[in-house]
Amino acid sequence: MLTDREILSTLEMLENENLDVRTVTLGINLLDCASHDLNKLKKKIRTRITHFAENLVPICEKIGQKYGIPVVNKRIAVSPIAVVGAALSSSQLVDVAKTLDAAAEQVAVDFIGGFSALVEKGTARGDRALIEAIPHALQATERVCASVNVASTRAGINMDAVLLLGKAIKQAAELTADKDGLACAKLCVFANIPQDIPFMAGAYLGIGEADAVINVGVSGPGVVKKAIDRALEANPDLDLGQISELIKKTAYKVTRVGELIGREVAENLKIRFGVVDLSLAPTPHVGDSVGEIFQSLGLLSIGVPGTTAALALLNDAVKKGGAFASSRVGGLSGAFIPVSEDLNISEAVRKGYIGLEKLEAITSVCSVGLDMVAIPGDTSEETIAAIIADEMAISVINNKTTATRLIPVPGKKAGDFAYFGGLLGQSTIIPLNNASGENRFIRHGGIIPAPIHSLTN
Amino acid sequence: MNKAILSVLGQDRPGIVAAISKILFQQNCNIENVSQTSLQSEFAGIFIVAMPIELPLETLRVCLIDALQRFDMHVQIKPLQPQDSGFSTADIEPFVITTKGPDRKGLVAGIAEVIASHGVNITNLKAVFKGGEEPGDNIMIYEVDVPNHVDQKILDQELRERAKELTLEISIQHRDIFEAINRI
Repeated sequence: MLTDREILSTLEMLENENLDVRTVTLGINLLDCASHDLNKLKKKIRTRITHFAENLVPICEKIGQKYGIPVVNKRIAVSPIAVVGAALSSSQLVDVAKTLDAAAEQVAVDFIGGFSALVEKGTARGDRALIEAIPHALQATERVCASVNVASTRAGINMDAVLLLGKAIKQAAELTADKDGLACAKLCVFANIPQDIPFMAGAYLGIGEADAVINVGVSGPGVVKKAIDRALEANPDLDLGQISELIKKTAYKVTRVGELIGREVAENLKIRFGVVDLSLAPTPHVGDSVGEIFQSLGLLSIGVPGTTAALALLNDAVKKGGAFASSRVGGLSGAFIPVSEDLNISEAVRKGYIGLEKLEAITSVCSVGLDMVAIPGDTSEETIAAIIADEMAISVINNKTTATRLIPVPGKKAGDFAYFGGLLGQSTIIPLNNASGENRFIRHGGIIPAPIHSLTN
Repeated sequence: MNKAILSVLGQDRPGIVAAISKILFQQNCNIENVSQTSLQSEFAGIFIVAMPIELPLETLRVCLIDALQRFDMHVQIKPLQPQDSGFSTADIEPFVITTKGPDRKGLVAGIAEVIASHGVNITNLKAVFKGGEEPGDNIMIYEVDVPNHVDQKILDQELRERAKELTLEISIQHRDIFEAINRI
């Protein structure tokens, strides 16, 4: 028999605290679709995706209704297209992106990720073609997302690729200048990319994965915030150890929802269940913000002194609670801080509480990186590459994942407003300090070697 | 052994369960299941007991009434029949239906009627009506077993329509979600 409290507190999370399953992402292996014949490859890809994903959306909706928990996004992640289409030219790869887009539209998913390359140790011909194809591919498609892993703790940082990405980001922004550089919102540059991220734009199916797999991304920043608010209202003298314990318990509950729904979707589709990504993923809605949690913890805003410590506490507690709740966790698993996708963080940028430097600092303790950061449109490709390189270094040295999703908004300057729409949100453009002049460091290229793992000071 | 079902109702106070169980023990009866609750100031208890074959039901009833006289309880006892209602607990899915909304007469009747019309069994019902217009003050929670042959879409739709007529907010969810979130 359930208790009233169990039922009513669960309903409260659903009705007033934005608890949902943020995404069910179907990973589909396309490696054996590889062909030097473009038409054959496109046909195989289309058939493979529609075969596996045909029932994804109706099944997610049916199961969401059964439990009263909305599955907000249904997505697909495929094998890295730089591998599948290694024999193709850049313009042919744009064609492949259009096929992915059409297949995604046919099965009614929100996004399809995997227009990706893994170049942390070197850039092969196919990888270069894919990176060059990214701007046009993202302009010509609606649902396709791209990611490139340019660094890892074991391989170091591929600075040639970083510079190529600086150029690709700049070009992608210019090609979608009428939409404030929207194409860049669909491109992540990674270090230590996990193979099973269900969230976009970083989702792809790792080379070591099976034919198909279901990964789930949960959400719930609103639930964590309300839990902290309620606990502090009842006892304002809670110490941070007790607050951490509370966040753990709340993360447990949120993760259990993802686990239950993910397993049932996988069972219905007769596909193996992969992982739950225990991330606090915000949306640009009031009450669904990671930034608000900092205020509940007692900070004036995200960005003020104390932010890094608070985020470290939050991120660790989420991981601990989530890991206990699920038998298999993976993906990014932590707190996201995407600027434009989080009303509160976006507002902190507008008011000047947080700048690029502090954002970069806190990425050393969060689960992603410089995410959905709108920067001035006249930022040079060298400067973009340099910001990426800094972020990659944090990842490589600290043996964690980070990424950048930078949007140089064409024709706009710091303080102007950029609008991306939907879950991608909106943001004030963040100023870049000391970014003028030549950057010869970045132009050197080559590989920054992998770090030593002793002498950890 | 014969089985009997005993129900006891009356104003709640200390000693009721002790008095009943003492008589059952003295009469060599074995308690198999008990469910006891108190609603506001009223006690309600249901006992399923295994009785020795030689013990007449009427003898046990008289003993219990005597023992509970000082508590002014209403006692009913009858032989337990083997299940013949045609309702099986196999092939069911457990759901929880929750409503909130302004208090008025006929809320339980309105929702229960729809539930019954689909052959769905209520396994647990709790309702608190503090009165007034505040939705959170007036809550009904039905735990129900929905047979697999029931068209859940139609049940869902009819419940939502009825809730709307009664100006209630309604949630209909599989029970597993509450277990998953709240229990290890």
